[in-house]
Amino acid sequence: MSWLTPHVATQIVDFSSAMLLLTCFAIVAQRRLSACVDLFALQSLFLAMTAALVAFLTGSRHIYIAAALTVVVKVIVIPRVLKGVIERLNVTRELVMKINVPASLLICGALVMIAFFITQPIIPFGHLLTRDSLAIALAIVLIGFFTMISRQKAVTQLIAFLVMENGLFLGATAATYGMPLIVELGVFFDVLVAALIAGIYTNRLQDAFDSVDTVHLSELKE
Amino acid sequence: MMESTVMIAVGLLLLPPLTAGCLSLLINSSRWLHVINLISIGTLVGAEAVVARAVFLQGSVTAFAEIVYIDALSSVILFIIGTVGLACSLYMRSYMDEQVARGVIAPKRLSLFFFLFHMFILAMVLATVANSLGVQWVAIEATTLATTFLIAFWRRRESLEAGWKYLILCSVGISLALFGVVLMYYSSLRVLGDVSSALNITQLQQVAAQLDPHILKLAFVFLFVGYGTKVGLVPMHSWLPDAYTEAPAPVAAMLAGVLETVAVYAILRCRGIADQALSPDFTGGLLALFGLISFALAAFFILLQHNYKRLFAYSSIEHMGLAMVGFGVGGPLGTFGGLFHLVNHAFAKSLAFFAAGNIHRRFKTVEIDQVRGLTTVLPWSALALLISGLALTALPPFALFTSEMQIITALSSSGLPDEWTQPGTRIPVVILLLCSVVAFAGFLYRITGMVWGPAPKDVVPGERWSVGHVPIILLGTMLAGFGLALPASLRHFVEMASALLLSR
Repeated sequence: MSWLTPHVATQIVDFSSAMLLLTCFAIVAQRRLSACVDLFALQSLFLAMTAALVAFLTGSRHIYIAAALTVVVKVIVIPRVLKGVIERLNVTRELVMKINVPASLLICGALVMIAFFITQPIIPFGHLLTRDSLAIALAIVLIGFFTMISRQKAVTQLIAFLVMENGLFLGATAATYGMPLIVELGVFFDVLVAALIAGIYTNRLQDAFDSVDTVHLSELKE
Repeated sequence: MMESTVMIAVGLLLLPPLTAGCLSLLINSSRWLHVINLISIGTLVGAEAVVARAVFLQGSVTAFAEIVYIDALSSVILFIIGTVGLACSLYMRSYMDEQVARGVIAPKRLSLFFFLFHMFILAMVLATVANSLGVQWVAIEATTLATTFLIAFWRRRESLEAGWKYLILCSVGISLALFGVVLMYYSSLRVLGDVSSALNITQLQQVAAQLDPHILKLAFVFLFVGYGTKVGLVPMHSWLPDAYTEAPAPVAAMLAGVLETVAVYAILRCRGIADQALSPDFTGGLLALFGLISFALAAFFILLQHNYKRLFAYSSIEHMGLAMVGFGVGGPLGTFGGLFHLVNHAFAKSLAFFAAGNIHRRFKTVEIDQVRGLTTVLPWSALALLISGLALTALPPFALFTSEMQIITALSSSGLPDEWTQPGTRIPVVILLLCSVVAFAGFLYRITGMVWGPAPKDVVPGERWSVGHVPIILLGTMLAGFGLALPASLRHFVEMASALLLSR
């Protein structure tokens, strides 16, 4: 494959990570809960693709395992669980937002710049192939963090948490070509269990409060 | 032969909670659930003693192809897990059975409670003995997952709220810590080049001085914020008072006594590595600053509380802040004081929550104003509350007085290790002393109000002796005893552990 020069390979990986960031913005702009879940599944698919690309280009086999697990857990299982949860709820849209969509998008743009600024001093040490992905990963983590604070529905908060987790996974793949396998497996297990537990919680919140709006969670005060 | 005994003991640290957890799901009889629980914790404590002896002789123990690494620091934490775990198990015998008898929970849900409790212990032990920072992260996230349903166990609206807040805030915080772990791995790979063991503490300690300071700085900040959420440092503390109020008393005792300690341990481990490449003033300054802020804010929040469980929760934030100041200031005295403070706080706070659990069951309220005349209604619990209250306000002869004095002395002699405050400034000491007076007054005022006075008429007086009183006496004696004469073995372990934290 003579056309696959290091430069071209870097471009492909960069493109793929950029698509992850793009879906992040789409999730921030999306009000319909089920569409958010679809976007999350799409983002996870891009993540698996990026991981597989890195695995192919570097020849490190164990990243293939992580990519396959991403497809199973984050593209298939978790979105299904979330869809099931949403079907039981009486809300399908994020109606009231503390920060409206255009403002959120602007803030997310600023977060991306901050992420690039923070990682600037350490980027030159990275592998040539995935150099910019580390900054993108931090940007995704920060955007997930912001979405979590700014949205009120329990389901959206859960998706934001999963987006953060995707960012972390991208960071691990980009910076170090994946964590040791035992750690990787443990992280997948934790994320899966966390998503299931949060799903159970949304059901119980729905039963107890007739709503999954976390604004109602205000009985515990000083 | 020695070697194989130690191996078996290390295996017995992890195996009993795992098997007991699985068995609990299959068993319905309350008596057997408690028996299995006690056997499991008893085995754990026994194994800890064997491992501690080996650590005492060899300095450190590695087992199972370097997956497990135990040194003096982890032994001290294991000692806390074992003692508080045992105390909680004994306390649960009377506490949980009464809840079932009163119909608060269905008997069937008792197995779920024990399953989650065992998983909680397993995750904490794993976090303490794991050699790899990655496995440690996985275990600490697992503690969040195991405890969130324990906190929401009563399934009331408030408990669901507390459980959800805890799950979300801690998971997010912990995610930030994972980014720190990734960065740590990133820096160590550049030096070690070996993929599978580059996150191992044993490996990292050898090459720590060659790691890149820029990456490590960023990594430590992420790790500190992440695990700091779990410790409950201000401003990441907002989940903590809610969770402690809503959790069943034995769970609250475990959260306050052990889980916070394990999270502090994770921070100390990362700091030990970061310090060798960075100036220790950087990590120390961060710890001391956040510790001081937590201490000061919690002291003022203590004044505002009208709910005794929240009062204890804020006192936890205060004491963790103080321990952080000790570690941040460093030096032999500060580090020893910090570690000793962790041990004492774990005992005092679990004792306080045992008393709170008894009071809550009898008075059916968590409002301080409605609890009066404990000496006539619940004399033993009144004694427990008084002992833990006096200990938590750091009065002599209790051990917290010793450790708090050590930390304050260390702070006043070396000052905050900041780059931005002037050397030799006395302001932090003044703040610390003023706030501890505020906390002292507020805390003691509330406690004494509950203990004395005429009892309300609608509350049945009298306290029957039960198994639940054994841990109360045990912890009370230890608190007073450690203050008067610290056992030589424990002192030696804490000294060994602080020497580990100081070496570079």
